[in-house]
Amino acid sequence: MEKKLSPLQTVIMGVALIVVLFPVFWILMTAIKPPTDWNASPAIWIPSEPTFVNFQTLFDPDALGKYGVGGVSQPATKAVLGSILATFVSTALSVIIGLFSAIGISRYGNNSKATPLIILSGRMFPPAAIAVPFVIIFSNIGLIDSYIGLIAIYVAVTLPFSTWMLKSFVEDLPREIEEAAMIDGRSKLAAHLTVTIPLIKGGLFATTMFIFILNWSEFMFALVLSYTDVSTIPVQLAKYVTATAGTLYGVQAALAVLAMIPLVIVGYLIQGHLARGMTFGAIKQ
Amino acid sequence: MTQIASSISLPTKGPTTKGLSNATIARVFTVPGQVVSMLVLILPLLVALYMSFTDWSPTRGSLFDAVFVGFENYSELFVYDTRFTYAVIRTFLISTVCLCLEFSFGLGLAVLFMRKFRGKSVLFSAFLTPMMILPVVVGYIFWMLFQSNGPINQVLEFMFGAEAMMEWFRSAPPAIFAVILTEVWHWTPLFFLILLSGLNSVPENPVRAAVILGANPRQVFWRVIMPTLKPVIIVAFVIRAMEIIKLFDEVFMLTRGGPGSSTETISLYIYKLAFNDFQLAYGAAAAFMVLIGSLVLVHMLLAPVRDQLLEGE
Amino acid sequence: MSRPKLELVKLRKEYSDGTVIAVDDIDLAIEAGETVALLGSSGCGKSTTLNMIVGLENPTGGDIQIDGATVVTTPAGKRNVGLVFQDYAVFTHMTVRKNLAFGLEIRGKYVLETNRAVEEVAELLNLSDKLDVSVKELGGSELQRVAIGRTLVTKPEILLLDEPLSNLEAEARLAMRRELRRLQSEIGLTIIYVTHDQVEALSLADRIAVMNCGRILQVEDTSTIFDKPDHTFVAGFLGSPPMNLLRGKFAAESGEVSFQKDSFTLPMGGSGATPAGFYTVGIRPEALSVSSADTPAIIGRINNVEPRGPETVVTVSVGYETLTLVAPPTDVLHTGDPVGLDIDYESLVFFGGDSNRREELAVAGRIF
Repeated sequence: MEKKLSPLQTVIMGVALIVVLFPVFWILMTAIKPPTDWNASPAIWIPSEPTFVNFQTLFDPDALGKYGVGGVSQPATKAVLGSILATFVSTALSVIIGLFSAIGISRYGNNSKATPLIILSGRMFPPAAIAVPFVIIFSNIGLIDSYIGLIAIYVAVTLPFSTWMLKSFVEDLPREIEEAAMIDGRSKLAAHLTVTIPLIKGGLFATTMFIFILNWSEFMFALVLSYTDVSTIPVQLAKYVTATAGTLYGVQAALAVLAMIPLVIVGYLIQGHLARGMTFGAIKQ
Repeated sequence: MTQIASSISLPTKGPTTKGLSNATIARVFTVPGQVVSMLVLILPLLVALYMSFTDWSPTRGSLFDAVFVGFENYSELFVYDTRFTYAVIRTFLISTVCLCLEFSFGLGLAVLFMRKFRGKSVLFSAFLTPMMILPVVVGYIFWMLFQSNGPINQVLEFMFGAEAMMEWFRSAPPAIFAVILTEVWHWTPLFFLILLSGLNSVPENPVRAAVILGANPRQVFWRVIMPTLKPVIIVAFVIRAMEIIKLFDEVFMLTRGGPGSSTETISLYIYKLAFNDFQLAYGAAAAFMVLIGSLVLVHMLLAPVRDQLLEGE
Repeated sequence: MSRPKLELVKLRKEYSDGTVIAVDDIDLAIEAGETVALLGSSGCGKSTTLNMIVGLENPTGGDIQIDGATVVTTPAGKRNVGLVFQDYAVFTHMTVRKNLAFGLEIRGKYVLETNRAVEEVAELLNLSDKLDVSVKELGGSELQRVAIGRTLVTKPEILLLDEPLSNLEAEARLAMRRELRRLQSEIGLTIIYVTHDQVEALSLADRIAVMNCGRILQVEDTSTIFDKPDHTFVAGFLGSPPMNLLRGKFAAESGEVSFQKDSFTLPMGGSGATPAGFYTVGIRPEALSVSSADTPAIIGRINNVEPRGPETVVTVSVGYETLTLVAPPTDVLHTGDPVGLDIDYESLVFFGGDSNRREELAVAGRIF
């Protein structure tokens, strides 16, 4: 009973598409605006002489120095490297720990009703509320402004999510498969390593990508825990914006675009699993 | 998290083959996760709790020397701190408006996607884009868009004349509008995704039966399709509600909570308390209250769907 | 003669631009108040025909008329035709009452009127004590009654049922069969069943239309179609176990007429001229019996014995052919034993060897 779109519906969808894509269009355009276009009033929509120079300026302390001092003149190099380090390490740890927890709970737990709620609760606490005690603890043990501290928090905060999601993938797998391997003579550990994990490859990949998205996008903890040694892309972007009251548009936008690219790619790769991921495993596509 | 430890018991059936016993495997696999979870959930709670009864500040030396002040922080929080109260109310109001809008737009879009048209998969990816973008970047983009010389004002001027232009960040109502618009743009795709997924899994025959009984498309939609979607809708709302009360990144980039404190969400207020004003003990009390409040709230929100969630596992 | 209630005129349904013909120009006239079964195996077009009658699908060609007026352009909800789905398709989020009331509520009927109608139908279907129960708590046959009641409330003129008994377990099936027969006599609607189960068709219908490959092979009232199938397909479909069908020729040897297929010889017990050409003989399992005579008509060896309680199904090899017969449970039969069979000549039917249609023959002094 599939009908075609009526003309009105086509128009609505067109308008919706414009609304959805315009902000993306805007930031892409801004990233390629030459500095002369940045503060034009009214703002320019499409630069007449697009350039990639902003992406270079990002990493050039001299070029940036011209725009101001402090946060503004910081090249984005450290932030990019910091984001890569923090995100990759914390994602890997979160997924690995979560994987084994998921197998443990799913195969050897008794599925009490409390477990899922406890796991989900971890996700519900506002970062600001958690940040305060953490900052206090970290400053007392010297982990402020260190990647170790940041990674630790990222792992802790995303662990419930990775466990929960992986648990749903493990449960999709019938127990008999592992039991068959065990009957064949393998130890439990070997069975899980050689049977369970390869079989949930797709789900494992999707979960890793989701945690990656969460960690890469994370702002608040990074903001609070970074001083001089630690920096991530979101923090650097905020510094660019607040430090100059916004006259560094092109450079800011270039950094934002750099930040966006990995996520758009990842999002495309896991499209099939998006519903499951975004609803923490509650809804399967 | 200690509850997880005690909730793991061993299956009585199944192979007990060579290698480690079931009990050991269970422990080995789950202990790292439990340790981490304990660290992130229990530890901060305890520290925040302890701190909230002191008047500690980083300038006053080590935490362990802090002066105990009893419930002073809490009474100030509840009785005198209208800013906190307003932040809570504000967060809830903004959240409610955003959720309703996201749901309506998402549903409308999902219904459109039930029709047949070309380029569906490309358009589907396109409509999902906003939720794939970092919250700080979304906040930044819309901060640019809402600038006085920005495109939004330009379009308003083009459509309604120069009087329609406004300073979006100078006064509260436009600033709040900007926050809401940003949020809705960012997360409507999630409702779209979930609702479309739900609509596609509505069983066909009851719909056909309704048609045969004489129902027109509107009746079929509201009396048969939507009730079937109820569990899905609830899950979508709960998931999104859980996240939106933590609203921080976008607002930070858009308005920093301003003008004044008119767009200050709970997260922003605690952030300011603790990290701008260095009132850490007081911030800890607020943090603790928010932690407890979130726990209660989400427990309540999840209650109707609890069984559904567990069934679906 | 009064006009038929429902008439299908050269009804046709094609898919994939004409490469798949689901319903091939069928004609069928159904009288008011009668119950007809569309019988056939999967893919024969019976469900497609049903969908077209109710309006879920549009015919590619031909016409559907109710009371003489074409309904092909009328949308599904306005044809006054009800359909009960094979999986019942009840509204799971509602109570029984709400399900039953649905058809009236969407028409904006007043509450009192709706309640009365709902209670009447619930009474008819023995659902009165379950009216306010959520449909989620009901079992198979109750769900079916809700599905039936849901359509009855709107007082359709024609009621269609898609495989009504196939989703029920054996016990529920028997009960439902009784229920449906009772309903038929009580409400007197025109009813069409679609089924692949010939037992269902035989027990519920006044007339059976056997379908295969989009065509109706025979429409006949139940007893006649059983005794006198018009087509080998129909013959092989009805009956459990089905009719034995053997394709061969007549032969006359020193005056004795027989029917032969390769090594299998069936003496016809008479003499005379023999029709030329190939024929297929149809022998009902009930027409064969174990012979105690010295010179039985057919001699063979027992292949398989399947006791079924009130009867035993026996497969017998005769030459390279196999015959199936039913024997009383008291007969002592062992696999591998030689056996002689008697045949009830009166019940034999013959079909054209190539046309597969039944023909009346006069052979060996009898008329078949």
